[in-house]
Amino acid sequence: MALRFEDDFLKKLEYLHVVSRRSFAGQNRADRLARKRGRGLEFADHRGYSPGDDFRHIDWKAYRRLNRLLLRLFDEEQDLPIYLFVDTSRSMSEPVKFDQARRVAAALCYIGLAHLDRITILPFDGRLGQENVPGRGKGRIFRVFELLERLESGGDTDLRETFKQFAGRTRQQGLAVVISDFLDPHGFEPGLKTLSAMGHDVFVVHVASQADRDPGALGEARFVDLETGERRDIEVTPALAEAYREAWNEHASELERFCGRYDLGYVRADAEEPFEDIVLKTFRKGRFLA
Amino acid sequence: MSFGAMAAWQAALLLLAAGGAAAALFYLKVRPPRVHVASLLLWRRVLDQRRELTWWERVRRAVSLAATVLVAVALALAVARPGPRAAAASRGRLLIVLDSSWSMTARLPGGGTRWERAVAQARALAASAAGDPVAVATTADGLVEGPTTDSALIETALGTLSPAGGEGTAWPRAGGTDRVHFFTDGAVGRPLDPDVIIHAVHAPAPNVAITAFAVRPAATPDTPAEAYLEIDNYSDEAREVRVTVSRGTAVVFDEPVTMAPGEAIRQVMPLDPAGDARLRARVSSEGDALAIDDEAVAWFVEADPLDVAVVSADPGALALLLERTPGARASYLAPAGYAPDAVAAADVVVFDRWAPPQAPERPALLIAPSDVPWLTGDRPAELQPRWTDAGNHPVLGGVDPLSLDIVTARDVGDALDIVARSAAGTALVGVADERARRLVAFGFSLPDSNLAFSPAFPVLVPNALEWLARPWLSTVRRPGPVLLPGSVTRIVTPEGRPLALRQAGDQVLVTLPAPGLYLVESGAARSVIAVNVGDPDVSNLSQSHLDESVRAAASGNVPGGRPWWLYAVALAFVLAAVEWGTWLRRVTV
Repeated sequence: MALRFEDDFLKKLEYLHVVSRRSFAGQNRADRLARKRGRGLEFADHRGYSPGDDFRHIDWKAYRRLNRLLLRLFDEEQDLPIYLFVDTSRSMSEPVKFDQARRVAAALCYIGLAHLDRITILPFDGRLGQENVPGRGKGRIFRVFELLERLESGGDTDLRETFKQFAGRTRQQGLAVVISDFLDPHGFEPGLKTLSAMGHDVFVVHVASQADRDPGALGEARFVDLETGERRDIEVTPALAEAYREAWNEHASELERFCGRYDLGYVRADAEEPFEDIVLKTFRKGRFLA
Repeated sequence: MSFGAMAAWQAALLLLAAGGAAAALFYLKVRPPRVHVASLLLWRRVLDQRRELTWWERVRRAVSLAATVLVAVALALAVARPGPRAAAASRGRLLIVLDSSWSMTARLPGGGTRWERAVAQARALAASAAGDPVAVATTADGLVEGPTTDSALIETALGTLSPAGGEGTAWPRAGGTDRVHFFTDGAVGRPLDPDVIIHAVHAPAPNVAITAFAVRPAATPDTPAEAYLEIDNYSDEAREVRVTVSRGTAVVFDEPVTMAPGEAIRQVMPLDPAGDARLRARVSSEGDALAIDDEAVAWFVEADPLDVAVVSADPGALALLLERTPGARASYLAPAGYAPDAVAAADVVVFDRWAPPQAPERPALLIAPSDVPWLTGDRPAELQPRWTDAGNHPVLGGVDPLSLDIVTARDVGDALDIVARSAAGTALVGVADERARRLVAFGFSLPDSNLAFSPAFPVLVPNALEWLARPWLSTVRRPGPVLLPGSVTRIVTPEGRPLALRQAGDQVLVTLPAPGLYLVESGAARSVIAVNVGDPDVSNLSQSHLDESVRAAASGNVPGGRPWWLYAVALAFVLAAVEWGTWLRRVTV
């Protein structure tokens, strides 16, 4: 799959920011305001001089007026750590679905790189895959493309195990974006709860395809689970197909309700929807991008 | 119970096998298609729910099984065609004869035509034959099908038949027939055996018809010919009739006429030789029950003159005669200038006291021909031959031989059919009516006889020319099967379609399908013949030659038009289509 985007689309992406509902301490200077005061350009406040402070920050004009030594404080502008979890389990192996997930990941990477955020790409299936840090600056987007293009689907889905492994590595808190179909036999709740409990601002991108949502009236068919290989002969009548559609809608609503309850961002990215619409409209509507 | 084409045990076996096979196929487990899904998680959730089955979901499998078996059984029934056996004992062979005269196309007051009613009744009769051999015949086509016990063959034959005239054809026969049923309207009277069972399909109906339309010599010297048209109103009430006569594309007469009940109108129209030779008359009247007699055609021969090429060193009186013969256009050349190409466009070539070395390709009149190889045989001459009997050949029609005084005559040879001989046996007039050549030969010349001054002269020569160039001109034909001489090579319909000619002995049989002008080719001669119904027996739909008691028995209730097994096949197809459609939508299994 070619992940290259057209120039017009990339320009539109450059105007977007990944929005985190919380501020996180970054490591490097960047575009994003940090909670701490620092060496930014934006004046923030004064405080009394303490021995050892840098003389260069003393506000001499204030000293003339008030006869007190005051130090000028500036907002610190730092980068945002963004963790992109991309589901590569076999349930995502349907090409249209997997491609959509990788495109979304690539677009978010580009937005982050354009604003000097620190991107970490974490493919996962039943376990967390090798993490990839493409670096800073939008020039690194081609590394991201290559990396995403190399991804292959395989393995089971186990969100809890994945995020437990993630928690086991020393991490700076940041924005965690999970791109998955959330068809986890163990349930998506434990995993997302774990991720949220780690103090990250979690954002859920629910990828689904038409085949996931609606099996159609197939008649008698042998269904094979792509992840477990389990087989089941089912006679899909119109009524049963309707029941399945309802079950899927319930699954999606359940995920959305869960995200609402735990203050996690939720966006649905249907594989058949135009990708540009998802990034430029759906993500902004979901206040994930601004 | 009887079966169309098989024994009872065979039919029962077929039904059981078909039903059993359908049920077995229904229960046959086919390998379901494999569908790879991202996860069975949601399917498990759906299937683990205790979902109450709807009434249809509970019965649909049984309904599908019943429909499948019903399709198979319906098809098997259509093949077996069971029916009630009318009598335990066989009643023998049955011959069904349908009257195919044109009056059978008349519409009935209750809808449909006499023919349709006859076919429906014949079907019912054939179905009741219950295993007895049945044959189907029409008065026009003779035996069409059978005798056979296969009712499907009879059904098919009845479905393909249509009225085709044949009012004068022979009564159809089938060997070993025990019963003969005749379905007729009685419009055309026929002598019938007393044991023929007549089924009347007659019902009086109004009709206005053209009963005569022809070109005939004019009664006055102003015009050479006139068209004669006769129209009859065979109704119980006055009718508004529009009469239209056209010549080629030009309308020469177009008038509305009010005709009293039973009234006949006769109209004469003078004809100018200059103009189109095609004449067409048409009547239209609201509520007319028969359409085929509403139109008639005629051919005005004087409007289509003959091209006559005369090969003679001295035409003399012959030239004078041809000059005064209406409808003839003569051209002359000397024997030395003769070549087949020179007369290729002529309708008739006249060779006067000379004959070409090769037999002519065009129709030819040979007057005292010289010796040539193709006129074979000993050709003795006879002085003062006596000719007393004119014979009945068309060439000699109207000729009084006693008015002729022949000085010397020479036998025309044995290569021709002799139509007139002298008392001593010398062949005086011979003809050849063959596919390859058309000839008339006189054994005497004008200088060797008083023919040029005889009343027979303006009759004999035009007769010969007409017979040579237009052999069928005077023939009045009706649509239907007709027998024509074997020399006829081709007949073309008014639409330009050649008709199939069937050899029947030394004649050809052809069926003229409808009224109109037909082109008949015979050797190099071409004639146009007018074919019209023009028969009061056919057109008078109120009359019937049937006895009153037979007519009274004509039932207004027409039995079902189609055999029931056709509905069985239709039911099978409908069920199969419904099953297929609902299966595709997973409504049934």
